[in-house]
Amino acid sequence: MKKIIFALLATLSGVVLLFSYRTSLGDAVPLGGHDGGSSSTSTQTRAQAGTQGQAPTQSSSGGTTAGGLADGTYSGSTAQTRYGGVQVVVTVSGGSITSVDVPVVPDANRTDQSISAQAVPMLVDETMSAQSAQIHLISGATYTSQGYVQSLQSALDQASR
Amino acid sequence: MTAAARRHVRVAHLMGTVVSVHVYGTSLPPDLDAAIDGCFDELRELERVFSTFRPDSDVSRYRDGAAALGDLDPRVADVRDACRRAELATGGRFTAWFDGRFDPTGYVKGWAVESTARRWLEPLVARPGVIAAAIDAGGDLQLFTAVDADWTWNIGIADPHDRSRVVATVEVRDGAVATSGTAERGSHILDPATGQPAAAVSSATVIMPSLTEADVWATAAVVAGPDLSWIDTAPISSGMIVAEDGSVRRWVGGIEISPASDSVSGAAV
Repeated sequence: MKKIIFALLATLSGVVLLFSYRTSLGDAVPLGGHDGGSSSTSTQTRAQAGTQGQAPTQSSSGGTTAGGLADGTYSGSTAQTRYGGVQVVVTVSGGSITSVDVPVVPDANRTDQSISAQAVPMLVDETMSAQSAQIHLISGATYTSQGYVQSLQSALDQASR
Repeated sequence: MTAAARRHVRVAHLMGTVVSVHVYGTSLPPDLDAAIDGCFDELRELERVFSTFRPDSDVSRYRDGAAALGDLDPRVADVRDACRRAELATGGRFTAWFDGRFDPTGYVKGWAVESTARRWLEPLVARPGVIAAAIDAGGDLQLFTAVDADWTWNIGIADPHDRSRVVATVEVRDGAVATSGTAERGSHILDPATGQPAAAVSSATVIMPSLTEADVWATAAVVAGPDLSWIDTAPISSGMIVAEDGSVRRWVGGIEISPASDSVSGAAV
């Protein structure tokens, strides 16, 4: 098991985005598997797989914005994972990361897995409300019926009934 | 996107929480409510079998030694075996045995919701005019989208420290989003290793294809707290944890996005 870190260099702004890649060459332990396993006995080493000499390619130039990131699309080098090579493409628009795509899916049988693999939790700006973001549903720690009455989800359920 | 889409929402109080079904479509099938009734009825039936609060439920009789597994609903044995596997897979961070007593509540919710949703709701998205369907059980979600639909579920992740806010959003077409934590019910997740409430993480959100698994791993993630090494060995997932101090860590496809990137994002589109 090894952890690979590589850097995406936004050359226009000089900002370096660091993505930490945890990868594993070991077997996954699915819940439905026939044998158990524990991650606690695993060892981890840290490898510096990406250096400044391996600057990623950047397409579609753009200006630096208030967010500090130059607009554009950044492709990382291919990282080896237990599912094969994975290459991450980060799109920056308006100074924010708008998408993170994992276009290299080596195993077609992993299609359902890759759907989850590409789900990126995007941090919400402090001023953004649930309504303005057009949020359909809210995931949160278990609420009781009483809590639901006061919850955002309750408001969403009533909003477009 | 789908301006003409209509939404149909049904809400029921089940399994100690609120369960809602959401169906979007340009036209909705005439038997839509029958399907949702079927889903709710099956959840009620599973609640009767697995409720640990009802002394006459199958799971209570097994727990109390009043009946052998062979004399009970066969799903009790299935769930017990699944809980054993979940405990092994999570390195003991998830368990259904507390002080030697069997309480599979932490497993049953996700499993019951996913299995009933796959039986009653997933087929709906193959019907003409239906765009997407979802079930929400107390903030744990299983989502379906028609193959050719121009649609993505935009899911808010609740701020565990302020339920009127969301801290992040995530887009999912098909899959599950489960969040566990200490927000409303206090520190109700015990660390099986210590018997003490797990408190380092206020909430953990796990995105996987299956709600059954996402729910188990979200619970395990709360117990693991700041130790994210489990994302290497778990089935591949995305997700995030919100620490007690409000700091956030995220991972995508089993790979942590380093905290360094937080300083340059902070706005979702």
